[in-house]
Amino acid sequence: MEFILDFFRSLFNTMLALLSFGKKTVKNTLNINVKTNDQVLNIELDRSLEIKEVKEIVSEKLGVSTDEIKIIFAGKELTDSTTIAECDLGQMSFLHAIKTKRRTEKPASMPLITVEEEDSVVVPVEDHSSKPLCETLQDLKLVQNDENVETTRKAHFFVYCYFCKKMCRGKLRVRCCKCKECAFTVYQDPRCWDDVLKPSRIRGLCESNEDHPCTENESGNSPFAEFYFKCAEHSLGLENDFAVPLKLVRINEQNVPCLACMDVCETILVFPCEFRHVTCLDCFLQYCRSRLLERQFLAHPDIGFTLQCPTGCPNSFIDEIHHFKLLSPEEYDRYQMYATEEYVLQAGGVLCPRPDCGMGLLVEPECKKVVCQNGCGFVFCRDCLQGYHIGDCIPEMNQIDMNRSCEYTVNPNNAAEARWEDVSTAVTIKVSTKPCPKCRTPTERDGGCMHMVCTRSGCDFEWCWICQTEWTRDCMGAHWFG
Amino acid sequence: MANIAISRIKREFKEVIKSEEIVQCSIKVELINDNWTELRGEIAGPPDTPYEGGKFILEIKVPETYPFNPPKVRFITRIWHPNISSVTGAICLDILKDNWAAAMTLRTVLLSLQALLAAAEPDDPQDAVVATQYKENHPMFMLTARHWTNSYAGGPNKVADFDTKIQRLKDMGIDENQARACLSKENWDLEKATESLFS
Repeated sequence: MEFILDFFRSLFNTMLALLSFGKKTVKNTLNINVKTNDQVLNIELDRSLEIKEVKEIVSEKLGVSTDEIKIIFAGKELTDSTTIAECDLGQMSFLHAIKTKRRTEKPASMPLITVEEEDSVVVPVEDHSSKPLCETLQDLKLVQNDENVETTRKAHFFVYCYFCKKMCRGKLRVRCCKCKECAFTVYQDPRCWDDVLKPSRIRGLCESNEDHPCTENESGNSPFAEFYFKCAEHSLGLENDFAVPLKLVRINEQNVPCLACMDVCETILVFPCEFRHVTCLDCFLQYCRSRLLERQFLAHPDIGFTLQCPTGCPNSFIDEIHHFKLLSPEEYDRYQMYATEEYVLQAGGVLCPRPDCGMGLLVEPECKKVVCQNGCGFVFCRDCLQGYHIGDCIPEMNQIDMNRSCEYTVNPNNAAEARWEDVSTAVTIKVSTKPCPKCRTPTERDGGCMHMVCTRSGCDFEWCWICQTEWTRDCMGAHWFG
Repeated sequence: MANIAISRIKREFKEVIKSEEIVQCSIKVELINDNWTELRGEIAGPPDTPYEGGKFILEIKVPETYPFNPPKVRFITRIWHPNISSVTGAICLDILKDNWAAAMTLRTVLLSLQALLAAAEPDDPQDAVVATQYKENHPMFMLTARHWTNSYAGGPNKVADFDTKIQRLKDMGIDENQARACLSKENWDLEKATESLFS
């Protein structure tokens, strides 16, 4: 019943809001989950409330005094004067209320820099413990010691959200890497993406269990923080509703023009190259599409099927392939299919030659008879990709002649009319292309000289259109232009 | 054509129009059609080269995937140069192939082609015949290139001896362009050229 009443009330409010010409369309309260040591309280909080007042509400429900409560959110203890509006909270967000008997001070003996091998200068970090992380965190540097970029702005994050199925604004959250609980405060803000993405960089204090606080090891060192991202555009009220950070996407605070269209766009993609080349997201997608259609993605041994900076900078691979999720679902499927095919081919495998099959098959190097297992079941010769045969492969031309020798006669005109479209496509491909002598990729020559370079990335074989063998200086001298 | 390619090419077009080089009449670009897919470029032959004084017209085709793929560029004006086909005008220049980068523009392409006219790379030849002459009979190459510049690109320097030889072949009913190409290939040996034309 209460649910129905609530519904009518909200409906009434909406009507009122509409009547007042949309002036008050934003709801000023947030439905927040407050997680305590043993229970979750669901409370409605006004955005203008201070943490002090939140403590009062919570302490009343828990039956303890406000002094005994600490409010922790995203790796920070929130001070009494902080308002809810400052906290980057969404509907159904989780705050953590910890019952504490003593006001634990930040231990002075804790090192600020937590990675021992690092010989970089210790940057004095302001004591931000009073403010929520979203207020204090500066825009993360792509790499540590990146001097190119002034990072004094507030951090903005973009994520790929599997629930919204698109790029969304993201929120950075922190939890203890041991117990995975979020009642955890960091000793230091992360300053670069490595601090966030790589484990064991920043330590903190875990307060999920008052009696047995988590420790990193037996000697009692503080545990490390584990950072993760959430989508800021939907709320399911689930703690483990994670999103993938798109670290190359950022707000264009420096108004850098896109290298392709030269427009200055609000949201940009910064390539991980030395010069931090910038494209707008539309041009990034156009770049991905053009490279995808030409199979020009590169198979990187660690990262997978990826791209480099479009100005050709060395070592500029995009190492988070979720950036390609910005393509349409069909394009992303194609990306995955090509990546898989490329993997199979590079591992010495073959692709089933049957149209509409294309199953990747890993076979022993000496095996000539290939069965399309788990696929269409076609049995074919590894060398000529025709149906399996005993003895040497027969060139295709002879095969056609053999087919012609069948006795049954058909009116050639009727036969020409009665063609299935796919077959004529196949014929067109056969007539207008020649296979790369190394990897057999059908290749069309649309002008220029006879010097061909295989367009399939990873093959790059240089061959002669006329000789259909490797390109030589003799080809250059004899028939560069045919 | 994709919007990115069009908006980009429009900007580059303006860049060329406003560039210093256009003031010095060294490069030029004009539109062929309204959809920005094809442009006509022009470069002046660099000074102190056999191309000096000539104007060379270029066909520039902008692919849909521009600027992530290079523009297709070809000489329309016939030219005698080791890296440019004397038959089709096709160009052998790394930045128009594998070394293309999305940060390059129409202006940089035109200036690179001008630089190619000033400094040939005969070890990476597009036209093997010209490259051989360039390396083995350089004075002959210089004269031939100057003659071609005069005949096709409006260059000021005539080579009277060559004109006479072409006229002789024309009198035999040979097309002028064919005669010039054949004589150039045979190092202006009239006898050899006649032989190869009539064999």
